[in-house]
Amino acid sequence: MKDLVVLGGSSHPQLTKAICSILNINESEMSLNKFSNGETSVTIKDSVRDKDVYVIQSGCGNVNDNLMELLIAVSALKTASASKVTAVLPLFPYSRQPDAPYRKTNTGYRQWVAQAGTLVADLLACAGTDHIITMDLHDPQFQGFFDIPVDNLYGKPLIQRYITSSVANYQDAVIVSPDAGGAKRASVIADALGMDFALIHKERKSTKVPGKAAPLMLVGSVHDRVALMIDDLIDTSATVTRAARLLKLNGATKVYCLATHGVFSGDAIDRVLQSDIDKVIVTNSVPQQDTKVRLGDRLEVVDISPIFAEAIRRIHNGESVSMLFDFSSM
Amino acid sequence: MRKSKVFIGSSNPELGRLVCDRLGVEPAPCTLTKFSNGETSVSIGVSVRDEDTYVIQSGSSIVNDNIMELLILVSALRGGSAKRITAILPYFPYSKQSKMKKHRGAIVAKMVSNLMVMAGVDHVITVDLHSSQMQGFFHVPVDNLYSAPLLARWIRHNVEDWQNAVVVSKNPGGTKRVTGLADMLKIDFAMINTDKRRKPYRPSRPTYSRSSSMAPQEDNSAFAITESEFITARIVQGRVVEEDYSEETGNDSGQMSESIISIMSATEHALGGTVDAEVNSSDDEEYPIEAVKEPADIERIGREAAIKSNPTDKTITLVGNVRDRTAIIVDDILDRPDSFINAAEHCRFFGGAKHVVIVATHGVLSADSLNSLENEPCIDRVVVTNTFPIDASKRTKSKKLVVIDMSSLLAECIRRNHYGESIASLFDKAFLE
Repeated sequence: MKDLVVLGGSSHPQLTKAICSILNINESEMSLNKFSNGETSVTIKDSVRDKDVYVIQSGCGNVNDNLMELLIAVSALKTASASKVTAVLPLFPYSRQPDAPYRKTNTGYRQWVAQAGTLVADLLACAGTDHIITMDLHDPQFQGFFDIPVDNLYGKPLIQRYITSSVANYQDAVIVSPDAGGAKRASVIADALGMDFALIHKERKSTKVPGKAAPLMLVGSVHDRVALMIDDLIDTSATVTRAARLLKLNGATKVYCLATHGVFSGDAIDRVLQSDIDKVIVTNSVPQQDTKVRLGDRLEVVDISPIFAEAIRRIHNGESVSMLFDFSSM
Repeated sequence: MRKSKVFIGSSNPELGRLVCDRLGVEPAPCTLTKFSNGETSVSIGVSVRDEDTYVIQSGSSIVNDNIMELLILVSALRGGSAKRITAILPYFPYSKQSKMKKHRGAIVAKMVSNLMVMAGVDHVITVDLHSSQMQGFFHVPVDNLYSAPLLARWIRHNVEDWQNAVVVSKNPGGTKRVTGLADMLKIDFAMINTDKRRKPYRPSRPTYSRSSSMAPQEDNSAFAITESEFITARIVQGRVVEEDYSEETGNDSGQMSESIISIMSATEHALGGTVDAEVNSSDDEEYPIEAVKEPADIERIGREAAIKSNPTDKTITLVGNVRDRTAIIVDDILDRPDSFINAAEHCRFFGGAKHVVIVATHGVLSADSLNSLENEPCIDRVVVTNTFPIDASKRTKSKKLVVIDMSSLLAECIRRNHYGESIASLFDKAFLE
C-alpha cells in the first residue's frame, strides 16, 4: 500500500510481524536502544516524510519503558515530517484508573490518587500522536479523555467466535461475569448468542476484615452446566480464580475464563495453575509465549492481528472502521 | 515555610531528605508504588489545596520509571488543586538528547519538557543543564542553577597549590563551562580535542615517549611549551600512545584483552562524551544498532562492534600548558569513563601534569564506570555532586570518589522561590563562601 509505514516497538515484535505479513508490506526499521544510563534511544531507519505511519506498542512488560519508547518514537516520527502518526496500543497502559480520585486511609483522610489514564492520554497527544487504535478499553469513557480520535476495537467478536466454534453445546452453557462492573460486557455476549447469564457479586456490606477479601455471591444458576467467565483483562487473576472456586462449589461442570487481555502479572500463572479454571482463553494483545509454556493446554490464544491489520488498512484507505465492530463481518 | 509542601520522588531520596532538612520541613507524605503489572501508582497523603508544592525528582538507572512517576505525581497535585507546582530536577533526564541527529532522531529533551508542562508543572528548577539553550524548550520559567561556586569552593579547599592548577576541558564543546570555573578561581585553563582525522598538526614536531614524559627532560619540555602549545598523541584501542606508535604491536592479543573495556565503549562515545548543541555532531553518531534491553547486551554489542570496526584510532591534542601542575578535568556529566581516562592519560604522559583530578556535576557513572576510573593510575580524584544518586556501596568501595552536597543550593533556591526573592545571587561566586 502506498505511503503506509508500519513500525513496531520492543514490547510485542511478533504482533508487528503478523500484522505486516497480513498487510503484505515490509516492517520498517527502527532501532530501539537503551543507553547504559537507562535512557531510551530511538532512531527511524527509513524515510517517513509525508507517510502515514503506524507504531505498534502494547502496554505490557516494563510498562513505563515501553510507554517512553512509544512517546519518543512518535516524537521522532513527527520530527521526521511524517504526515500522520497513529499509535496502535492493543493493550492501553494505565487504562484502569480508579473511579474516584481518592482513597480512604486509616486516619480518615482521603488520599488523592493520580488519574494516570487521563495523563497518558494527554502524553500521547502531547508527543504528537494524531490517532490511536486500541482494543477493549477498560472504561468506554476513556475515549473522552483524548483530544484526538480513538478507535476502540472490540475483542468481543473473537470471543463469540471462540464460544460458538470451540465450546461443545454452547447453548446450554452459562455466561458469567466475575464482577458487577463487567456485567454489561458479559450480558451483551449472552444476548448475542442467546445464552443464560449469571453474575458474581462482591459482598461489600459486611465490615471488611483487613487482609481478607470480601465474600462472593453468585446470582443465577450454573448447576450441572458449563460456566464461561467473561472479563476484559486478567491481571493478578485473583478475581477470576476466586470466582472459579465459587462456580465449582455451585456445581458448574467446567469453568472457562475468556478475556481480551491476559497480562498475568505477579504470581498470576501459579494462581491459575492451582485454580478450578479448566481453560483460559486470551488474545495476543500482549505476548503470550511465556504464559503458553507455563499453562500448556489450559491456555488458548486467539490471534488479533487480522483485526488490527484490517483496521490499519481501512484507516489508511479512509474506509469505515465500524464494520469491524460488528459480529457479522467476522 | 507556610502553605508549602515538598514531595520527594523515589529517584534520589537522599538528596530530597537533605534539602528538607535544610529547609526545616518534613517531606510531605505520599505513597509511590508500582502495581504488579508494572504501572506506577501515586497517592498523596496530605491536602495540597492552594499550596505551593515542590517535587524533587532526579534521574537514576531506571530513568523512564522516574519520569513517569514525576508526571503522575505532578498530575495528582494538579488534581488536588495545588496552587503552584515546581519540579526540581537536579539532573535533567534525557538532556543529552537535546538536538536532532542526522537521521530521524527525536529531540527527546524537548518532548520531556512538553510532557512535564502538559502534566501541570508551573516552574522548573535544575542544575547545570547540559545545554543551557534547553531552557527555551519550556513554556514555563526555568531556573538553571550553577554548581560552579560549590565546585570552586571544593577545589580551593582540597586541591594542593590550586592557584597553579589548570582547568582542562576534555572536549571543545565544554570549553565554555570550563572557562567559567577558571575565571571564578582565577586560574589558567587548557583544552583537549579528540579528532578522528589523522592529521598531523605540524610537519616537524617534538615527540614524546611515554617513558620520557614520566620523567621529562628539561630541554624537551621547554621546547614544547615555547615552540607550540599543541601536544598531540594518538588513541589506539582506547589507550593514549605516542604519534609514531606502530599498529602491529598494538594489535597483539595481550593488548586487546587488557584494554577491552576501553575499546567497547569507544563506539558509544555519545554516552560518555559531552558535546554542545552547536558543536559538530560527529561524536554522536555511534549507537549500538541492535534492539537491546539488558545492560549486559549493550556491553556485548558495543564490544563486538568495536572489535569489528576498530574505530579507535584518533588524534588527541592538548592545547595549553599543564606541565608540573595539577590538571582539573571538568565536564558537566560523568557517565562513560573512556574520554576522561584518555584525557587524563594525555595530560599525565604527554602534558606532564603532576596530578589529575576529574570534576563533574552529574555523576551518572553507569555500568562499572567508577571501577574503570578507580583502576586508572593517572587519575587521582573523582569529584561529583549528589544531583544524581550514587549507591552507598559504590561510595564506600571507591577511594577516589568525592561527592559534594548540593542540597544547600537547592534548598536556598526553593526558599527564595517560595518567598518571591531573587535567586540571582545563587549564581554569584560569593555565594556560600
